[in-house]
Amino acid sequence: MSDTLIEIKDLKCRIDNQNILQGLNLKINKGEVHAIMGPNGSGKSTLSSVLAGNDNYEITKGSITFLGEDITEMSPEERSWKGMFLAFQYPVEIPGVSNINFLRTALNERNKYFGIDSIPAKDFLKMVAEKSMLVGLDNKLKNRSVNEGFSGGEKKRNEIFQMAMLNPKLAILDETDSGLDIDALKIVANGVNKLKSSENATVVITHYQRLLDYIVPDFVHVLHEGKIIKTGDKSLALELEKKGYDWLKTDTAI
Amino acid sequence: MIIKDLNQFSLNSEENKEAIANLSKNLFPSRKEEIWKYTPFKKFKKINFHNQENFKIKGLDTLNLPNLDGIVIVFENGRYNSKLSRIVETDEIDISFSSDIFPSNNFQTIKKNNYFTSLNSSFLTNSVLVNVNSNTKISKNLNFINIVSSDNCLSNTKFSIVLNDNSNINLRQYFLGNSSISNGFINHENNIYLNSSSSLSIDKFQDLNNNFNFCNEFITQKNDSKFIMNTFSCSGIIVRNDIISDVNGENCHTELNGVFSPTKNEHIDNHTTINHLVPNCKSFENYKGVLKENGVGVFNGKVIVHQDAQKIEAFQKNNNILIDQDSIIYSKPELEIYADDVKCSHGSTTGQFDDEALFYLRSRGLSIKKSLQLMTLGFINEVIQKTSNLEYVDFVLKRLLKE
Ligand SMILES: Nc1ncnc2c1ncn2[C@@H]1O[C@H](COP(=O)(O)OP(=O)(O)O)[C@@H](O)[C@H]1O
Ligand SMILES: [Mg+2]
Repeated sequence: MSDTLIEIKDLKCRIDNQNILQGLNLKINKGEVHAIMGPNGSGKSTLSSVLAGNDNYEITKGSITFLGEDITEMSPEERSWKGMFLAFQYPVEIPGVSNINFLRTALNERNKYFGIDSIPAKDFLKMVAEKSMLVGLDNKLKNRSVNEGFSGGEKKRNEIFQMAMLNPKLAILDETDSGLDIDALKIVANGVNKLKSSENATVVITHYQRLLDYIVPDFVHVLHEGKIIKTGDKSLALELEKKGYDWLKTDTAI
Repeated sequence: MIIKDLNQFSLNSEENKEAIANLSKNLFPSRKEEIWKYTPFKKFKKINFHNQENFKIKGLDTLNLPNLDGIVIVFENGRYNSKLSRIVETDEIDISFSSDIFPSNNFQTIKKNNYFTSLNSSFLTNSVLVNVNSNTKISKNLNFINIVSSDNCLSNTKFSIVLNDNSNINLRQYFLGNSSISNGFINHENNIYLNSSSSLSIDKFQDLNNNFNFCNEFITQKNDSKFIMNTFSCSGIIVRNDIISDVNGENCHTELNGVFSPTKNEHIDNHTTINHLVPNCKSFENYKGVLKENGVGVFNGKVIVHQDAQKIEAFQKNNNILIDQDSIIYSKPELEIYADDVKCSHGSTTGQFDDEALFYLRSRGLSIKKSLQLMTLGFINEVIQKTSNLEYVDFVLKRLLKE
């Protein structure tokens, strides 16, 4: 079996007649951690949305192959069932929908897709206890409405909690570090690391090198104007931290 | 319209004569009148209603209703079905099948001027009067099931209940239309009288499928009484509830809640009036509409605080969700205040589910249908939770969400 988890080829997309991704290439193998960095507005969140299946974006060119299958036309739910997970940069508040009820439905929907029985209540609760511990999610938050009235940090923890519950093959963490203080950051990073295996992969989108001290990437990519303009190892992140992005932009202009 | 092929039948011939005279005198409601503006009467056209029908329901279990432990009164096609009913004689409750000896006459003028209450009196097929004796607390629910099981069958029915001083009961009313029949019409009247310090809560459930249901409801409250009515309207060609409540004693609590969910060209109409006639009372109203696929909803809630009814607290709200663009809601909360020392508020909102929230749920593996169901549940939860029984909540949700 191939080790490739996802392969993105020459991906172009647009929204409201504005081209955002402009020929993006990226290949991620099982067991890898990739970091994507880049200035504001370079298309990082767009890339994650498109990978998760947000059809507000129109894909005008290219392909996304996930586990050997082209997923450009696949619904977000089906992508999720197959192992895609996006930790949102701005998790949505959904009033009245209980966090726990929602997650249980999510797991059961996936089970249904694979023809597996619903998860028994007891097992589910055990899993909730275990996974919320992993990210230090406050007990009372689990029973509240999804993200409603959560602080910025609580929302981010809740995202990683959901990731732990769903145990995805490919997890994309879109600026999960923003809004977290250093202690929370360590806990969340630790949680993410515990979920890592030789069968899955993580994409960490961040502005700051800081997070990469805790979730150590195998590759660091720089996204600029909808394209990856440079790829390196973790030392690239340190370099970016010192020098910013401008030196790279001039590089490509040459 | 409507009465062409009906056989006359009434329990009280004097009342009957007067009512029929009244009915022929009264014109059918005109949509020029504000309260009838949105009701699609054309859906009655070409239906030849009749009011002589046999019983068809084989057993209560075929209806799949939640726990029917207590007293069960079943009206089928407008008639009392003794086989399906379960009435246990007790010292606490008297049940009789007649329309007289009801204490309140404060609504006579309104009833005479309303086509559907006149129709009800003129062609009344059966009527039940429940008397809850003083100083009793009935622990088991009283169940009233009103079902139409024949095409084109018009049922004119009345349910009256008197709570004597310091009595307490929960009532569940079901208005049902068999899904295999069409154009049945339950034209029902509820008369409710709460004496001092009594407490009544009603969960009213309407699932008519391809049939009609009008409910005209008249409530009188004496001092220190508590009245709660939760109306869950799931389906029907036209479902219309006209609730009028006279709060005529101090320190009363009045609460009207509702969820209505019309789909597929259905029309669900809620009209409520709370008359605060005396001081020191509280009323709460909370209706939620969930509309899709050309469903039409109406909410017209009126709270009237009469002169000298000081220290009234009245809160009213109606929130609606249009699941798709094709549905329509007409919402009109109204406050009329003639006293100066009151605390009142009202409001209405109509919106759609957030696209981002939908994407969020789907990205976690929920289908569109499940996502919408979950968001709908989140939206109506506040009202659903007013009924404390889990089995009942489950039952209502399944039907409201059309699972
Ligand atoms: N819904 C949208 N409508 C119009 N433009 C958008 C929309 N979403 C993103 N963009 C534009 O796409 C570009 C990339 O945005 P985004 O992917 O959020 O960047 P990043 O996450 O790297 O900060 C920005 O110029 C932004 O204005
Ligand atoms: Mg972003």
